[in-house]
Amino acid sequence: MPVVAANGARFHVQRLGSGPPVAMLHGLFVGSLAQWYFTAAPELARTHEVFLYDLRGHGKSERTAGGYDLATMTADLVALTADHLQLALVGHSFGALIALRFALDHPDRVSRLVLVEAPLPPSRFGELGAFVRRPPDEMLEALPVPLAAYLGRGGRQARRLLASLRFLATESSLVADLEAEPDIDDAALAGLTCPTLCLYGESSSCRETGERLARVVPGVTLQRLPGGHYLHLDQPAELTRRIAEFCRG
Amino acid sequence: MNDQQQDVLATVSTLIAEVVGDELELDGPIRLDTRFSDDLELESIEFVALAEKLQEHYGDRVDFVGWLSDKELDQIIALRVGDLVEHIVACL
Repeated sequence: MPVVAANGARFHVQRLGSGPPVAMLHGLFVGSLAQWYFTAAPELARTHEVFLYDLRGHGKSERTAGGYDLATMTADLVALTADHLQLALVGHSFGALIALRFALDHPDRVSRLVLVEAPLPPSRFGELGAFVRRPPDEMLEALPVPLAAYLGRGGRQARRLLASLRFLATESSLVADLEAEPDIDDAALAGLTCPTLCLYGESSSCRETGERLARVVPGVTLQRLPGGHYLHLDQPAELTRRIAEFCRG
Repeated sequence: MNDQQQDVLATVSTLIAEVVGDELELDGPIRLDTRFSDDLELESIEFVALAEKLQEHYGDRVDFVGWLSDKELDQIIALRVGDLVEHIVACL
């Protein structure tokens, strides 16, 4: 398992394919690089070098006690992609916010940006807010339906996921960091210069953020897909097709 | 099961045991009808580790990631070890 030390933590990373680089970022809590590895990454890898990593505290990366604020997690991405002068970024949920922050801070380094279900402001992410206030054992019920069914039997998978959720919700600073995370204001968003695709689920509680981005960011393309927040589970084939089409320009 | 299937099953069983470690919850050996999710309780991130080990072992002859990416989540959940063995035998 390839592990890279960056920004004071150890990260599990994977690379697929060759070509212009694209980094893909997953969402918080139930996400890991597997969500892209088995959906859009293989298709993108036909034409791109795809770089994937588990966010700190997630998957096989180090379970750090702190550093779950957007600035630190963006610094993680900066450190992990230091070898690439310019790359495309694809992120889901909080991973999309990391990609967005990176693009705002380093406009010359991002060729294209795909934001899937980016929630703004980060602290008012409705589904996540309701989610993190539950005791870890009840969190299972709040998971996306396929995942909850997958884990409902209470076996090894459920135990491991619950242990991970329990760590993130009660032993790390993630919830406090999220609650303290300020919004990115419209004036800052308007400074986004790279071609940007926003993908949102028609029934997602985040869809208003997509409308806001389309309103304040010049040249952003907003597309809606049938489904909720977890589009890689609800619409894997269509999501993959749209990401690949946009990245190939 | 022919000799080649037997060999591939032995290899896949070893690689799965390496990924899951001492948490393997299975009475008896891994068989063709052993299910990845229901029986082995493999997490998706462990599928990534298994893909990496298959790549190391078989090289580019076996495209586990591409094979999985063509499947829907419910199909992946229902996968049996025999499905993977069959895919690998077809690639060799």
